[in-house]
Amino acid sequence: MAPGLLCSEQPTRRHLGATNILNKFHNFLRLLALCGLLGGLPGPALAHAIIVAAQPAAGTTVTGPDVDVVFTFNVRIDGARSKLILTGPDGGTSEIVLTPNPSPAILAGRLTGLVAGAYSIRWQVLATDGHITRGDVPFVVAP
Amino acid sequence: MTFLLDIFGFLSVLLSGFTRSAQSFYLGSICFLFLVVMPFQGELGPIGQRIASGTRRIALYSVTIMMAFLAASLWAHTVILAGTTDGSYLNALGGSYASAQLIRLAAATLAMALLARGGRLGMLVPLLGAIDLAAGIATSHAAARLDNQIILFTATALHHLGAAVWIGGLPAFLFALNTLSHGPGLARVGMRFSMLSLLSVLAIAASGILMLVFYVGSMEAMYGTAYGMMLGTKTILFFSLLGLGAFNARTVRQLSRGANASVLRLKRFVEVEIGIGITVLFVAASITSLPPAIDLVEGRATLSDIVERLEPKWPMLTSPDKDSLAFYEAQRQASEAQASDMLDHQQVYVPGSGVPLPRNAKDIAWSEYNHHWSGIVVLLIGVLALLERSGRAPWARHWPLLFVALAGFLFLRSEAEGWPFGSISLGASLRDPEFVQHKIFMALLISFAGFEWSVRTGVLTRPWARYVFPLLSAVGGMMLLTHSHSIANVKELLLIEMTHMPIAIFGIWAAWSRWLEMRLDGTARNVCGWRWPSFFCAVGAILILYREI
Repeated sequence: MAPGLLCSEQPTRRHLGATNILNKFHNFLRLLALCGLLGGLPGPALAHAIIVAAQPAAGTTVTGPDVDVVFTFNVRIDGARSKLILTGPDGGTSEIVLTPNPSPAILAGRLTGLVAGAYSIRWQVLATDGHITRGDVPFVVAP
Repeated sequence: MTFLLDIFGFLSVLLSGFTRSAQSFYLGSICFLFLVVMPFQGELGPIGQRIASGTRRIALYSVTIMMAFLAASLWAHTVILAGTTDGSYLNALGGSYASAQLIRLAAATLAMALLARGGRLGMLVPLLGAIDLAAGIATSHAAARLDNQIILFTATALHHLGAAVWIGGLPAFLFALNTLSHGPGLARVGMRFSMLSLLSVLAIAASGILMLVFYVGSMEAMYGTAYGMMLGTKTILFFSLLGLGAFNARTVRQLSRGANASVLRLKRFVEVEIGIGITVLFVAASITSLPPAIDLVEGRATLSDIVERLEPKWPMLTSPDKDSLAFYEAQRQASEAQASDMLDHQQVYVPGSGVPLPRNAKDIAWSEYNHHWSGIVVLLIGVLALLERSGRAPWARHWPLLFVALAGFLFLRSEAEGWPFGSISLGASLRDPEFVQHKIFMALLISFAGFEWSVRTGVLTRPWARYVFPLLSAVGGMMLLTHSHSIANVKELLLIEMTHMPIAIFGIWAAWSRWLEMRLDGTARNVCGWRWPSFFCAVGAILILYREI
């Protein structure tokens, strides 16, 4: 399980509308042909749940001292069995108190009293199909 | 406990593969019993009773094995989840995944009791099987999707049921073939199972297409992501199964017309179908640990990335110095910085911490050197096996010893940072799935090489000993499909692992060709005898051309 599939600013999960479904069906024959030709990898090297949108986004600089954290995943998350851990500039860690899930794919919380420096949020989630995944979202709080 | 998350990920793929296989055989045997054997039981007389009883035993063994793996999966899940969250086992057992597993365990326990006891209550076993199927689907990808869940649950149910009826029914079919041996009874049972298998293939194909649309969605996702490429691997193996199935269907039709057909070949192909079928179920388990291709938009490999990586290059036959690897460089820098700050020494890479091993150009050269020399050895093995097969070079029968040499080479080279020659201890190394997988490969290499060499030189004369080589080779190929590398860059990881797919497929084909060489007769035996060393040559060539940059 490689950690830290870095997050993009924009939500990338595709909502399937009628047009999208038609387009997907349109592509499936090409896909089938390709299925026979390609093959690949394995392994638990990539993890099941990935972040599709993050606030703060990975590698960005934000303004403190209070920062809202909203991580959107590609799958349904069991919020009661997932967690977010903040690592501060001094290496100290603290668990972020999660706010009630606004959506089954979102983990959210609020950071308060942050001083300037480099931070990282380690996320660990349990997807509702039983897969446990983790990763890191590093960010900087501006002076 | 946090440090064990990575190795837990690997373990859960293996446990899931075993559970899926046992579930298929359990459900498949039940379907075979109720849909194939029972309608003919009166006609078949005492032989029908014997087939029914044997099929029930296969279902009983399968459900018992499934229960053991279900319990192991649930135990590992609960321990790791409780250990990495609030420490509460009750809370860990409260999630939807654990609830579904508990339901499966309860239903399987009841089914086991009914199958062991026999009698009229045995009629409830299909219902318990349906509960197991439904609860199993509640832990599939479909359960975690945000949209189109009804479509995806239906597709998954069809997919699992199809695999169970076809692949899962094969051991019972093989038992029936061995019991009936010939005559109209064999043709009738064969025709009925063939028809069920055909329907299952249609269900698998239709549901597979639906899942392809919703989980992959585009050509770019198919070839540019691990999920898509893994699906390609599964599809190739599926077509291998279809080929064998088509031969068998033709044989069954010939038998039903009273024409001459090889029942021996039918049985042997069913044996191979079971083996490749288990591999497909393991690949399916491995796929569930990956994010669906449609979700992975960042870091996909493009067609030009893949083509560029496949361009042949002269093999790397000299190794960089171990001290020049990124891990040791970072270790030196950290030690210097810590010495100047009077801080405690810290390891720059901690297996299981979630932070990948550092890598530089020397690491790539180190890895390519390992793969290229391994390729030369495997190619040599293939050539020697072909020479032995020709009958003109009996001395070439010692080729299995080269596998022992290969295992030794891997022991010395595969983990420059870990035990025994690196600075990471054995305990810490065991938290790294890649380390564990490499050590399992070495054990497999030594085992099958030892057995095969002993068989070829006459040291071991027991009949079962000659089957160890193909069986362990097949396990090795299957394990390769769960192989992972500790690399952070998703695209690089995909491009590296891309090479492992054909190696695994050729390894699996080689193993089952060797199996058929020993189990068949006539021309088919000869063809298979030439085929498996050729597959080894292909594996060697792929390893020689392996590139990481």
